[in-house]
Amino acid sequence: MWAEGRVLLREVTVRYGRRVALEAVSGEFASGSLTAVIGANGAGKSTLLAAITGVVRLAGGTVECAARRRLAYLPQLSAIDRDYPLSVAELISLGGWREIGAFRAPRSALRQRIAAVAETVGLSGRIERSIGEISVGEFQRALFARLILQDATVILLDEPFAGIDPQTMSVLLDQVTRWHQEGRTVIAVVHDLDLVQARFPSTLVLARRCLAWGATEMALPVMAA
Amino acid sequence: MSLHALIVEPFETLAFMRAALVACLALALMNGAVGTLLVLRRMSLDGEVLGHAVMPGAAVGFLYAGPSPLWLSLGGLASGLAVATLSGLITRAGARRDAGLVAFYLVALSLGVVLVAWRGSNVDVMRVLFGTVLAIDQRALLQIAAFSSVIVIAIAALYRPLAVGAFDPAFLRAVGVRAPYGAVFSALVVLALVASFQAFGTLLAVGPMLLPAAAARCWGLGAAVSMALAAGFGLAASIVGLLVSYHADLPSGPVIVLAAGLLFGMSLAAVNAVRRLAPTLARGS
Repeated sequence: MWAEGRVLLREVTVRYGRRVALEAVSGEFASGSLTAVIGANGAGKSTLLAAITGVVRLAGGTVECAARRRLAYLPQLSAIDRDYPLSVAELISLGGWREIGAFRAPRSALRQRIAAVAETVGLSGRIERSIGEISVGEFQRALFARLILQDATVILLDEPFAGIDPQTMSVLLDQVTRWHQEGRTVIAVVHDLDLVQARFPSTLVLARRCLAWGATEMALPVMAA
Repeated sequence: MSLHALIVEPFETLAFMRAALVACLALALMNGAVGTLLVLRRMSLDGEVLGHAVMPGAAVGFLYAGPSPLWLSLGGLASGLAVATLSGLITRAGARRDAGLVAFYLVALSLGVVLVAWRGSNVDVMRVLFGTVLAIDQRALLQIAAFSSVIVIAIAALYRPLAVGAFDPAFLRAVGVRAPYGAVFSALVVLALVASFQAFGTLLAVGPMLLPAAAARCWGLGAAVSMALAAGFGLAASIVGLLVSYHADLPSGPVIVLAAGLLFGMSLAAVNAVRRLAPTLARGS
């Protein structure tokens, strides 16, 4: 169903000024795969997701992704300014960007879907709240609701579980599993290796270069070593 | 002195006071929208720099045609847009953004003063630096009104991408938006500063833009309400400033900016007082 969900990297290199963040990473995220990206701080994990999304420019190599127009990206929480005056519903509604774009108003069908996805992540009663006054866990749930609404073929998650309460964590993990079952390609930066072991079939180990990439039981020992 | 003589009479009897009031109203509407977005996008310093970036071009316009509003505006627009582009480029080249902006600020301001002083008098320099809100004729008024209308309509139309670009810029890239909305916004800021230039001069033009918006932002309301409140604050500061400067025989532009600064201080104090007295109320839960 999601045949176009493959992401192919060829010699992907990214530099910030003189610093090399990512060097000649090659490989393939198969369509419908669920992959954890792991590595030490500064290993280029976030950079890799940003490179696939097109947020940072490549210094070399190519990213091939037929679903570029059906790609959704969850940045790290710190990359989003929560002081901006915006309600949870308004934030989620951006997930309908392909429908509303920069200028159109959301139709009632979209508004119903917003309510539905808010319920899926357990935010039903809070969608009129401002994003500045809900908890970090609730904010991450709202961002997940936006991702669900985007209905993307390829979903990139940058540290989706960092600093999140256990209850929210289980809601978000269930959603990741659901995306995987629906055949979407999911790539997530994760720190908790036990979690990787338990829930992610594939793993990519980064240290600026690719150290290991494949089935989790094969790749994970490389990280531990 | 009766209330009527204090508040209404100056505007009733003097055409230049009325013109100044209408100009301030048009500028307050535009500044409410632009200023609020500047504050929300955390670009106050950019606003300040672009305010001075208008200066050298306006000075060249002055050398060419004397104090004509049209030529001052065209020159200011050209140099403002040039500096906005340049500062965008140095940011992309990885230089320290704040240092680069301040360098532009100082060079643009000095260059402008030198250019005006070269051919003009001290009065001309003062006029370019601080503006002449009491010397606005009908042509300048029409120009201000036109600029203000264009800016308010543009911000209404582009609000969604401008807002998303402010709080979650990666989202725009991820959904495939390639239009340079950040640059469009900088151009709107330059346009707004050029419109304010004749009334408030290059040193003060940022004041009526940022101070009412910062005051409105204190109250933690939604973006649209903040813009309306900022416009209201801007107009209130203008009326108070014009009347005080008239009765006390003080320069109008600086007094208007002082009044706006006072509103900012009062908003800060009021919001802090509310938080301290009713902490749960202020959090809204």
